[in-house]
Amino acid sequence: MSTMRAVEGWTVKPLERFVNEAGARLTLLMTPAGQVLAQFGFTRAVDVMAAAALGAAIVSSTAEIARLLEEPQFSALNHQGLRHGIFVAGFDSPRGRLLALVVYGTNSSVGLVQLFFEDFVRDLIAACPVPEERRPVLAEDFERELNQSLASLFRS
Amino acid sequence: MSLVNFSAREITCKIVYYGPGRSGKTTNLHYIYGRVPADRRGTMVSLATQTDRTLFFDFLPIELGTISGFATRFQLYSVPGQVYYNATRKLVLQGADGVVFVADSQARQLDENIESLQNLQANLLEQGVDVRAVPLVLQYNKQDLPPELILQQNELDDALNFRGLPSVPADALSGRGVFETLKAISALVLRRLSQESPK
Amino acid sequence: MDRGADAVTGIRFRRLLDQVTRVRGVRGALLVAGEDGLVVAEAVMEGVRANAVAALTGSLARRMRRTADAAGIGFPHFLHLQATTGAICAVPAADGTLVVAIADAEVNVGLLRLALLKVAEVMA
Repeated sequence: MSTMRAVEGWTVKPLERFVNEAGARLTLLMTPAGQVLAQFGFTRAVDVMAAAALGAAIVSSTAEIARLLEEPQFSALNHQGLRHGIFVAGFDSPRGRLLALVVYGTNSSVGLVQLFFEDFVRDLIAACPVPEERRPVLAEDFERELNQSLASLFRS
Repeated sequence: MSLVNFSAREITCKIVYYGPGRSGKTTNLHYIYGRVPADRRGTMVSLATQTDRTLFFDFLPIELGTISGFATRFQLYSVPGQVYYNATRKLVLQGADGVVFVADSQARQLDENIESLQNLQANLLEQGVDVRAVPLVLQYNKQDLPPELILQQNELDDALNFRGLPSVPADALSGRGVFETLKAISALVLRRLSQESPK
Repeated sequence: MDRGADAVTGIRFRRLLDQVTRVRGVRGALLVAGEDGLVVAEAVMEGVRANAVAALTGSLARRMRRTADAAGIGFPHFLHLQATTGAICAVPAADGTLVVAIADAEVNVGLLRLALLKVAEVMA
């Protein structure tokens, strides 16, 4: 079963290529607010959201440290564990700033991830379409369904 | 900014619980976590100090269900309330689709509430967002305390709610008002999606 | 930060790499953190992508180590990749560093191997 999911189709091919080449176990592509655009390797959507929130928090807090140090911006950060490493990096794209969180195991390395990350960013920027006109999302009468959903959520 | 996946028909929205220190933001999230079935929520992530004060944020993802054919997820965040954590508060506020302002109903906390509300306004403005453009719900927490210690809803509305926003009296520890608050902010956030296109 | 100590380390690494680059036909030499695949020190000619060579050689060395292990032939001492217009040779040092050389196809592999082994011995 493929564990790759993308909110926006243009991210799929670059992501596939990246995880294959870099040997990444998990990868998240997200906005600085922690909204996930594409993911590889996670099985539960809610786990993805938690990882994205934490990944975005890492980038946000290091950006603040950069500001205190009067550094322009840290481009990437790596944490090395015993069995896993995490690599977090940000980059600018036609869709604004995006972040990636990559988890790699002993079959890869920070060097490999870093190396193929450059290609990943290039591929994403090349594939990124011009933002199109968006349309209203929800029907006007969504509230009845919302009330039902919330009631079932709280078992009330 | 809500993330809408048109092909998979999914919506993800970010809701931030804001307010002064110890007003009950984390308690709201804990109550929701305890009441929502496990298959419709994720793990609650808390970046807290050793004394359980929120250091960076608390985070709880929940699956609301299908609305207008879209599987709808909410990411609930709470910020640290203490004044000196403003830097992290700003970070968590980034990209919020809606804000729940959790006020402490105790009369002696009124100044802290006002200060925190002003801080919310300033932090949003710093991100180029007008507070009037963000869906906002006020929750008056700790209404279970003795009447002589707290302000009533109308008094708190007078002090904090100049714009006639939805306000909910609550006792987050027992859960009173928590659901109503979530319902009110959900309706406001989703109403936006039904009226205007997401950016 | 002790900049003096850094400079001494830099000079030391440079001298070690010189022992490899002085072999005729060598285009570049690298000290690579084996597990991370990151460049520790480099002396390469223009056009050689040191970080790419480091990351990929690190990966190759790890796989070769597993291969040797699976085959029951012990720990690899010397890796030699012969390509159409050149070669990559690497020797793992005992401290986890990989001593890598990028060379022309006609390089004297025996001589290069000796140079790499000597550096690896010093690194250990």
